[in-house]
Amino acid sequence: MSSELERRLDDLLLEAPEPETDVGERALARALRALELPVVRPRRRLRVVAALVAAALALLALAAGSLAAAGALHVSFGQVREHAGPRTLILPGGTAGIAAVVNGRLSVVTRSGFRLQGLPVSAAALSPHALYVAAGIGTSLVALKPDGRRAWSHPAGGTVVTIAWAPDGLRIAYVVRTARRLVLRTIWGNGTHDAAIDRSVRAVRPSWRADSLAFAYVAAGGRAVVYDVGHRSRSVVPNSPAGVSEVAFAPAGKRLALLDGRTIVVGKTRSRARIRLVGIGWVGGELAFVSRGGQAEPVRIPGPIVSFVASGSTFAAVVGGEEPRVVAGTTGNVATVLALPRGARVEAVAVR
Amino acid sequence: MREARRGDREAAAALFRRHWRDAWRAAYAVTGRRALADDVAADAFERAFAALGRFDERRPFRPWLQRIVANRALDLLRAERRLSYEEPLEPADARPDHRGGDRSLLASVADLSLERRVVVVLRYGVGMTPKEIAATLDLPVGTVNSRLSRALEELRESLEVEHVE
Repeated sequence: MSSELERRLDDLLLEAPEPETDVGERALARALRALELPVVRPRRRLRVVAALVAAALALLALAAGSLAAAGALHVSFGQVREHAGPRTLILPGGTAGIAAVVNGRLSVVTRSGFRLQGLPVSAAALSPHALYVAAGIGTSLVALKPDGRRAWSHPAGGTVVTIAWAPDGLRIAYVVRTARRLVLRTIWGNGTHDAAIDRSVRAVRPSWRADSLAFAYVAAGGRAVVYDVGHRSRSVVPNSPAGVSEVAFAPAGKRLALLDGRTIVVGKTRSRARIRLVGIGWVGGELAFVSRGGQAEPVRIPGPIVSFVASGSTFAAVVGGEEPRVVAGTTGNVATVLALPRGARVEAVAVR
Repeated sequence: MREARRGDREAAAALFRRHWRDAWRAAYAVTGRRALADDVAADAFERAFAALGRFDERRPFRPWLQRIVANRALDLLRAERRLSYEEPLEPADARPDHRGGDRSLLASVADLSLERRVVVVLRYGVGMTPKEIAATLDLPVGTVNSRLSRALEELRESLEVEHVE
């Protein structure tokens, strides 16, 4: 029987179905784009020079940090470069997808293309690897597969205003607007073990620490608070301004960035921008800023852009209009996409 | 291969078309779901093409690609299982929609645990040796042989039951 079975198993893949044609065409386009990316192999001499430059920059950064801490350095923005126009979506390596809410409609894009478009939601966030998207629909928190199938639904007791999925995928933090207040809650990634964490918070998206053992949020008084999931304890962030509008843990380590108007606080370092900022987000080890109107250093795409963030070669974009759509991506690692188009908050979170 | 490594799009597209169906079918056999197979196979090709410049063209392309497929499928399935606490939110397609052939064999393979299923697909579907599978999955060869043996036993019992019924 075994030899007969093994003979049949040798033809196992012949029994599998055929892939859809359009899937193959999309995959081919993606593969060819990957082929076009140049592989940079720095020579030894270049590596030495790069190391020297990096060391010099590190010293400058230390000096700048000291100046910033003393209030003598102001964050400023460089010239905004014009971009040739919307590009084909290229999602970065290690990033499985982007979820964006534009004008109250959800767009989910995964590596293989658009999966969900136009669903009315109040907030959304992708799970790691873009396996699920958590969305506020009506007065429920719902987990959907990117193809639209529902995985689970949980009554939230109000409108979900913002959602943050932990990097390990095991928990979700979300804020619900009830009749009288904004309540911060957590729920397991499988839709069970829902719990209230703080019954009076601000409508700011919580930010998970890289180890998924804690997250930051903004309490009703405007100060940033870190909630330790393991110990179920809360602690106000030292040096937190009183009007924090954004919290952002770095994608690695435990650095937490806070934004209050023009003031940016990272650890003991406090900097002040010349113009009002509306968003911060980490891109790798660097902090990216977004000003009103969505102008972020250093990339700008002409046209009806309502949302993008950029740093180096990393950015993602969402345009408005009747049908929301993501038009551009990157070859780097997108950490966070934040923007504020004409006063209306738009956010997209790309999973590392 | 040489032209593809130099960035020739037509050569790369030909390479893709030669291996796409097998890669997708291997992804499907491991994941049991079309949507995941789409993602896994496309992702594998993207990674393979991105690394094509570093690929040793004296070695065969197919086993290298299939290793990427297998590892990507495992990553996704493990992440999904972890996310849902060992209970998949969406079970694998209970009846794979394969066209033609014996339905029961692929369905029986789909019923195997992930650990056993992947070694069966790599051994028989892809044609790897136990040593190659061990290297791909970072397992001892003895563990691979053990899983293969138990998987075959489970498949044999499953098929015998169907035959009796």
